[in-house]
Amino acid sequence: MTQTQTKTHAYKADIFCQDESRVDWHSKALWTLREKRDRAAKQLPEWEQLRTLGSQIKLHTLSNLGQYLETFEANCLANGIQVHWAKDATEHNQIAYDILSRHKVKKLVKSKSMLTEECHMNPYLEQRGIEVIDTDLGERIIQLAKQPPSHIVVPAIHMKKEEVGELFHEKINTQAGASDPTYLTRAARAHLREQFLSADAAMTGVNMAVADQGAVIVCTNEGNADMGANLPGVQIHSMGIDKLVPDMDSAAVILRTLARNATGQPITTYSSIYKAPKSGGEMHVIIVDNGRSDMLQDNILAESLKCIRCGGCLNTCPVYRRSGGFSYNYTIPGPIGIAVGASDDDSNSIPWACTLCGSCSYVCPTKVPLDKIIARHRRLKAEQGQLPYGKRHYMPLVGKLMANETALNCSMSIARTSLKILPHSLLKPFAGAWGKYRELPAGADSSFEAWFKRNREQK
Amino acid sequence: MKIALFIPCLVNQMMPEVGIATLELLEKLGHQVILPKGQTCCGQPMTNSGCFNEARATTLKLLNSFKGVECDAIVCPAASCLVAAKENFHEFDDSDEAQAVIRKLYELTEFLHDVAPIASFNKAINSKVSLQMSCHGIRMLSLATPSESMDTPFNKVEAVLSGIEGLNIVYPQKRDECCGFGGTFALDEGAISGKMGKDKAHAHADTGAEFIVGFDPSCLLHIDGTVRRQQLPIATRHIAQIINMAL
Ligand code: SF4
Repeated sequence: MTQTQTKTHAYKADIFCQDESRVDWHSKALWTLREKRDRAAKQLPEWEQLRTLGSQIKLHTLSNLGQYLETFEANCLANGIQVHWAKDATEHNQIAYDILSRHKVKKLVKSKSMLTEECHMNPYLEQRGIEVIDTDLGERIIQLAKQPPSHIVVPAIHMKKEEVGELFHEKINTQAGASDPTYLTRAARAHLREQFLSADAAMTGVNMAVADQGAVIVCTNEGNADMGANLPGVQIHSMGIDKLVPDMDSAAVILRTLARNATGQPITTYSSIYKAPKSGGEMHVIIVDNGRSDMLQDNILAESLKCIRCGGCLNTCPVYRRSGGFSYNYTIPGPIGIAVGASDDDSNSIPWACTLCGSCSYVCPTKVPLDKIIARHRRLKAEQGQLPYGKRHYMPLVGKLMANETALNCSMSIARTSLKILPHSLLKPFAGAWGKYRELPAGADSSFEAWFKRNREQK
Repeated sequence: MKIALFIPCLVNQMMPEVGIATLELLEKLGHQVILPKGQTCCGQPMTNSGCFNEARATTLKLLNSFKGVECDAIVCPAASCLVAAKENFHEFDDSDEAQAVIRKLYELTEFLHDVAPIASFNKAINSKVSLQMSCHGIRMLSLATPSESMDTPFNKVEAVLSGIEGLNIVYPQKRDECCGFGGTFALDEGAISGKMGKDKAHAHADTGAEFIVGFDPSCLLHIDGTVRRQQLPIATRHIAQIINMAL
């Protein structure tokens, strides 16, 4: 394998960790969401049943995906919606561009779409002369800051309000030094209103696509998806094939958990259902594969397609909270980012950016077995000879040592003795990362086995 | 009962006191305890890294040391090693003999709660202890409901210790957040692991407890190193040591 330029998660996390107060602030901001989620979930006595149902609905749909996609398409067409199929990111971007250029669109307002991030659509359209305005407040902030999202639900969570104030002052002329969230939000709203009124087309992501209705559901808190979809004539909805649910009943189950698990709200402020173009307008749905059907081939990886993108696993993840969203080498960070992005990570490090604590799997409203998926990625990487640099060298040695009792006993006895008799300052450099952050263990007098021999077998 | 000890490499080599306490407490409870020969490691460091080929020989060596051993239960004072052993045995050997071993595997707390509960303790321990609810024990072995779950709460660790007179049980904030050891994670992701350990050690110390008590020696080893680095006024103890003291 050739060494690539991409830095490992550990490398980037190390840099993030150098500002400990920022780490604490970041970790706390996200933990607050986890606590809100706990309170919201606790209020529903049927919470765990909803999780089970959510998981079953998604698994069922994924197992019969072909059939549901066909039903969905047929019903969309009957409703007057134009349906497009994209096998990958390039095709998605081409389709979007074709629609937009046909209508001579100069400005596109966009809302709620990690998928367009995944497809890197903004730069693609911008290179072709179309201005793309992200209209979710958080998305707009990072767009103005020229940064990718660091979280899937709260994309600008890494920025403090003072930093947003500075950015807004520079880009949309707010007062210098202002950091009051209400003031900044109002200013952003006024700025966005102009964008909505001057846009020629709107695009949104899709939270759920309802097969038997031929409809898509979009959830927002700011109402911006609706502002976009209702103002200009052309509306486009991009969705992954994993967004399908059979009917409104199943959509309802997921709607009950989505916002609760994301931010602790009972439901998103707006949960809009679009099932036909407005009069005189056009409605398009682009259905994207982009690697998803490959994932379906592997029983374990397939379950990552149950994800409804609530962000709950990021908020609970002790590693994500302390390493930040930009350390993952993928558009989507955190546990779900590893699950769906590991094969795209050139540094081959993100599957190991996890302690396999399992908190994410228990927090997940559709029971995505994230820890099992992450472990699976490790195994696949190892089988493909793509272990991270250090591991590739030391793992075979560890394997041999552990399987050989004499060698293990011998080396451990040396280690114990050194721990006992040598000053620890002398050992620290040899103990690498362990010694950098912790004291070394005190060496025991003997192994348990030797003690047992002396105290039990010889009696 | 006749009990075979499963003593993971970390306990055997670095924390023999945990093995000794486990042995003594089981004996005090009237069990006959043996130590089958030839145990090294469950293969977790390798399988946890994705390296299944490298783990095979080690895992099978451990499994073989239990095959054919006459006993009613195999008890291990380390939750994550037990979980790994179970999974790895399944992975590399699905013979009936292997199944017979797997069926007898118990983590110590699990054994004392589900199989052979302690009728009564003899000594009071007047002390405040902060329980370390390690991930694999609670989430993979169901020793307690994890904080994410809204299922009816239970806690086997607390249930086992609650019979000890004088013992005041408390929990750190973010009660079951991972301590950051994660096997080779502590080496691969030094900065994050270090920070997680530091946060955990402080959360335990902030309870004002005298001891951090846990059922997973690897987490305890990690937290202990951090507690000493941070010079916090708290010490770590394995649950076996506390129970042994109270018997
Ligand atoms: S994996 Fe589960 S918890 Fe994570 S974002 Fe998806 S649905 Fe939410």
